[in-house]
Formats: sequence, C-alpha cells, structure tokens
Amino acid sequence: MGKGGKSHEETKSGEDENMAAWLVGLNTLKIQPFKLPPLGPHDARVRMKAVGICGSDVHYLKTMRCADFVVKEPMVIGHECAGIIEEVGSEVKNLVPGDRVALEPGISCWRCDLCKDGRYNLCPEMKFFATPPVHGSLAHQVVHPADLCFKLPDNVSLEEGAMCEPLSVGVHACRRANIGPETNVLVMGAGPIGLVTMMAARAFGAPRIVIVDVDDNRLSVAKNLGADGIVKVSTDMQDVAEEVERICKAMGGGVDVSFDCAGFNKTMSTALSATRAGGKVCLVGMGHHEMTVPLTPAATREVDVIGIFRYRNTWPLCIEFLRSGKIDVKPLITHRFGFSQKEVEEAFETSAGGGSAIKVMFNL
Amino acid sequence: MGKGGKSHQEGEENMAAWLVGLNTLKIQPFKLPPLGPHDVRVRMKAVGICGSDVHFLKTLRLADFVVKEPMVIGHECAGIIEEIGSEVKNLVPGDRVALEPGIGCWRCDLCKEGRYNICPDMKFFATPPVHGSLARQVVHPADLCFKLPDNLSLEEGAMCEPLSVAVHACRRANISPETNVLVMGAGPIGLVTLVAARAFGAPRIVVVDVDDYRLSVANNLGADGVVKVSTNMQDIPQEVERICEMMGAVGVHVTFDCAGFNKTMSTALSATRAGGKVCLVGLGHNEMTVPLTPAAAREVDIIGIFRYKNTWPLCIELLRSGKIDVKPLITHRFGFSQKEVEEAFETSARGGDAIKVMFNL
Repeated sequence: MGKGGKSHEETKSGEDENMAAWLVGLNTLKIQPFKLPPLGPHDARVRMKAVGICGSDVHYLKTMRCADFVVKEPMVIGHECAGIIEEVGSEVKNLVPGDRVALEPGISCWRCDLCKDGRYNLCPEMKFFATPPVHGSLAHQVVHPADLCFKLPDNVSLEEGAMCEPLSVGVHACRRANIGPETNVLVMGAGPIGLVTMMAARAFGAPRIVIVDVDDNRLSVAKNLGADGIVKVSTDMQDVAEEVERICKAMGGGVDVSFDCAGFNKTMSTALSATRAGGKVCLVGMGHHEMTVPLTPAATREVDVIGIFRYRNTWPLCIEFLRSGKIDVKPLITHRFGFSQKEVEEAFETSAGGGSAIKVMFNL
Repeated sequence: MGKGGKSHQEGEENMAAWLVGLNTLKIQPFKLPPLGPHDVRVRMKAVGICGSDVHFLKTLRLADFVVKEPMVIGHECAGIIEEIGSEVKNLVPGDRVALEPGIGCWRCDLCKEGRYNICPDMKFFATPPVHGSLARQVVHPADLCFKLPDNLSLEEGAMCEPLSVAVHACRRANISPETNVLVMGAGPIGLVTLVAARAFGAPRIVVVDVDDYRLSVANNLGADGVVKVSTNMQDIPQEVERICEMMGAVGVHVTFDCAGFNKTMSTALSATRAGGKVCLVGLGHNEMTVPLTPAAAREVDIIGIFRYKNTWPLCIELLRSGKIDVKPLITHRFGFSQKEVEEAFETSARGGDAIKVMFNL
C-alpha cells in the first residue's frame, strides 16, 4: 500500500503506461509516467475520471510548500477525485470492477490515539494525496485503500464525486460548529470553500446565511446559490466596525456561527466582532501563520474559536446530500479541461486566476 | 432591588469603600436601597481584592466599562444575613452566606439558556455603574446568597468568587481524569485553576510563571511540575519543549492561559496537542498577535471564559469536603479603615508574594 514508486507487476498486454501530472519544480507541471505500487489485499486500482484543482494544489505549484510541508522532489499533484474501479485486492468485499467511486484522499495510521478516538484527520502520520512526500491523484490511475473509495449512486456524476472533497471541508466545519435550524450563519469569503460551506450550512438547516466577499461576481454567485444576504467588504481594517454593522443588519438577528473561509486578520477580526456572545467562529481558511486579532473581547463574550482541518467521516453524508438533491454542487464547476500537457498548464492558470473561476475540473 | 441610593431606616449608617477618583479610595456613607421581597440584607464579613478592583483603582476603567462617578469597590464577598424580604424562604437572619456578585436579567435568551454570565444587562458588583460590596452591609437577591456549611469560614466563602472562575473554566474545557493540564500564570487565578483542575480529576498539571516564588506556591499546592518562563517571544520553542518534557509523552490536552498575553497565548497554542483546547481566562490585551492558523490546522480550539455561571454550590461542596483548600491563597489580611483599605490595595497591586488580600470586617 503506497502511492507510487514501484512498477505495477502485471503489465496487461495493450495497456497504456500510467501517466500523471507531476510538480517537478516551481511553476512547472509535467505529464510523465507514474508507476503504480502493487495492489495490496485491501486496495483498489481506480481509473481516474474527474479531478478538481484545489487552492492548495495551486499554492504548491507557485511556492513548492504549504505550511510545514515542502516539495523536495517531484510529486504528483491533485487530490479531489473520482473514478471507476479497475481491480480490487483479494480482501476487498465492498467494491467490484466497474463501480463508480469518490475517493477520500487521506490514509491515516489507525494505531495512534487520535485515530482510535476517531479524529483521524489529525493523525501525525497521515498520508494524503499531494501533500509531500505523498503523490497525488491527477493521473490516469491510482491505487488506494478500498475503504476510502465510496460508491456513487447512479444519479451522482463522477464530477460531483470529485466535489465531495471540498464539500467535505464544509460538512466537517458545520459539524464542529453544530450548525442546525437555530444557528444563523455568517460566511467570510465566497470562493470555493465559502460556497461549499454555505451550501453545507443550509443542508444542516441553518435558517439564515449571510456571505461576504470583496468581489461582486462571487457575491452574485453566492446569491444565486441561495445566500439570504450578501455584503460587499473591503480589505481595509478600518472598515471592520462599519462592516459588522452592515452584516448584522443583513442577518436581521445575531450571528451564531461565523465561518472564516479566507483566514486573514481582517476576516477573522470581523468574524470575532460580528459573532454574538456565546457563539462560535470557525477558522476554515488557511491565510496567514500569525494573526493579529481582537481575541480578548471575543473571549470575554465567550465567542469560541474552532479550528478546522480537512474532514473525517464525511463522504457518506456528502454523497447522500448530492443524491437527494439537498445540495447541488454542479454550478460550482465553472471550467473543464482534458488531461494533456497544454490543458494541465492552462487549467492551473485558470484556477490561480480566481475571479470567475470557482472549481476547475479535469475530465480524464 | 438595586445597589444603593436610599437610606436604610434602622441603626448605624452604612459605610463603604468608594472609588472616588484615580488612585483614590475613600470610606464614606453608602445608603442601601429598600429591601425587596426577594432580597436579603447582608452584613459583610470577608471581602477579597481582585485584579479588576486594582485595575479600576489605577485606571478608572476596564475594557468598555468606565467609572464615570464614584463607585463602591469590591465583589469577592461573604457575610451574615441580617434581614430577609417577605418572599425569601431559603435563608434566615444569622445564616452565613457567600455572595454571587452578578444579577442577570432573566428575560433575554442568553439568561433563559442558562448562559446568564454573558447577559448584556448584567448588574455586577463593582462593574460600573453598579456599586460593589466592600461595605459594612449590602442588599442582594436571596437566590444569589449561598449558605455556608459550619466547617467553612467566611473567608473561604469570599474565595468562592475567584474559585468560580476556575470551576467555570474547567467545565467549559471539559477537565476530567483524562486531560493533562497546562496553566499559564501562577497568580491568584492560575492557582485556583490549578486546584480546580485537580478537583475535576486532571491527572497531570504543569504550571508556568516568570516568578520563582509563585512557582513554589504552585508546587506546594500540588502542581506536578513547574516551569520558569520569560516574557521574551523568542523563548517560546524552548519553553514549549520544556513544558512538554515535564508533561510527558501524551502531551497537553488543555491549556488555561490565566495571564492573557501574546507570549502566554502563543506558548499555549504551540504547546497544546492536536485536538486539544486553549482557554483564554486572563484578560491581558485587547488585540493579540498569535499563531492562530497552525493551531486551527491542528484543531486546537480557543475557548473564551467570562466570569462563571452556577458555580457556587459546587465551589462550596469542593471546599466543604476538603477536595479543595483555598486557605493558603489568603496571604494578607486587613481591617476596614481608611488607612488599611489604602494599604491593602497597595499590597494587592504589588503582586509578588501577595496572592489574595482579604478584608475582615
């Protein structure tokens, strides 16, 4: 079980060499061969069909690092993915070749106390697609544990399957924040994460959702996707007080939970000030390392700050939300590309450009 | 029901310690309000000085609260019931009681939810414009006066107030036999947090401070380990290492920042294990610069603590049973005279070996 390195032993006659998009250096992606590891008894070999680009993928491309993770040698990029089972290991009972599956990227150790406690997303030994040194999944095929491949119902497309990954971040945040029919929600940032968080919050029953952003287009997308109120904000710290006023007015009542899906001093400060006493602020977005925020006034109103890192046990719920139509992620997929050298480069440029590009999807 | 204004008909003139201006306390008459049907009149016997009292003395403000006119100081108190209102069933004159300072409105949704400590209309002893309780007598709602068992002194009754902050923090942080605890700061609040965490079952507690004497007090009060730290941000990685070594392999589950500075909060966020909690108890600076993102990326949550709710019965029981002993924290005692009031506040403001300064009236 691993993510790349050794040759796949049986080379079926006529089968193509597995190719993947490798991050080989700063701003440099190359489609190159990617040798699959041997199929373990609990693994599945998956033909990738849909892979989305995440902000973290772009960040690695642009800087070769993300927090403490550094790309020291070439690494396959991508982690938001879905595909079709080609082969299953000897002990796999839940899947057969031909099954359409969405993949949960991270393999945890299952021996440490965090894993055993169910908080496996925090496992210190986590092996996660495209977090160095683990190879990602923007490839023709990958090998992955079968228990991390979730079967898609007939009415959910492979692209929607790939969208389960960003949607999972929103779902995990809503669970940690206890979103329900009584929690008014504020979302800072109408980018892909802000938007899936908004949709997840609605699916969890949030009665009123206000979303803020600096960009008019993203705000109008948010409105079309069901936001009860949208507020245009600035990047200027001086504007916090006035923006808090406009937010509370748009909410019509207090803000019970704020999701900071951007993660900057400005957004966090606004969230802390806008949230009512006894409420929660979830820091979802990974902006700056050190932040300067009005922590004490928030603490004296018992506004708690909840940390969000990836997700755990979210695929079944995401799939059900998509199957039932409670959530529709299809409008978030704004750009599509095929899997060629030129298109891979163009796709990443598009995603990095932000603006009207929300989710850029590869169809393989 | 109120905290001052009209004269009380019978007996002596009531006197109190008033904050009349910057650094100026004066013992002056304090007219009690009429006794409402649900009120009691209490003769104060023990009143402790809190850091917030000292802060009001030195600056005439605290966060958004500003002392605009003379105000009676003090809020950590216990005394003896003198008179009860017509509807009071739970107390009789002669009862020894500890007082919970804050009157919630009981109409807003926070109060109705039980989170009355964050009621926006809270009337709290010595938070302007509400008068405090460093006085010979006060009038207070009977439901906020808690009877003390025979084996508890009135001074211990007064200590229920700071102890309540710690108990509330331990509840919000879910302290249990499985939570290793780190306490930043060995002042009065850090020390009551240490003893409360132990009472809640914490198996291992490490306390840090810049002051050797305070660390030795923490040691004597049962800390499993003490670590001397600096005020220098550069020292954080090294201090986190020493703290984690002292705590043991499992790590820190919950950290209480009882000081509330960038340094202590940054250390707390770095020292706490993934999935753990940091409680911000101490009210240091308004804006703080801290490594928030790395903490959030390990799902280390920050829990805010403001005063307490529903803590007096538990504090009294913990003291009664001996599970907690607060008596060692009372280091200095003063009587209720102009000179002693001034001296007491000076002593408390000085910190160091002065942990809890107590008035005996």
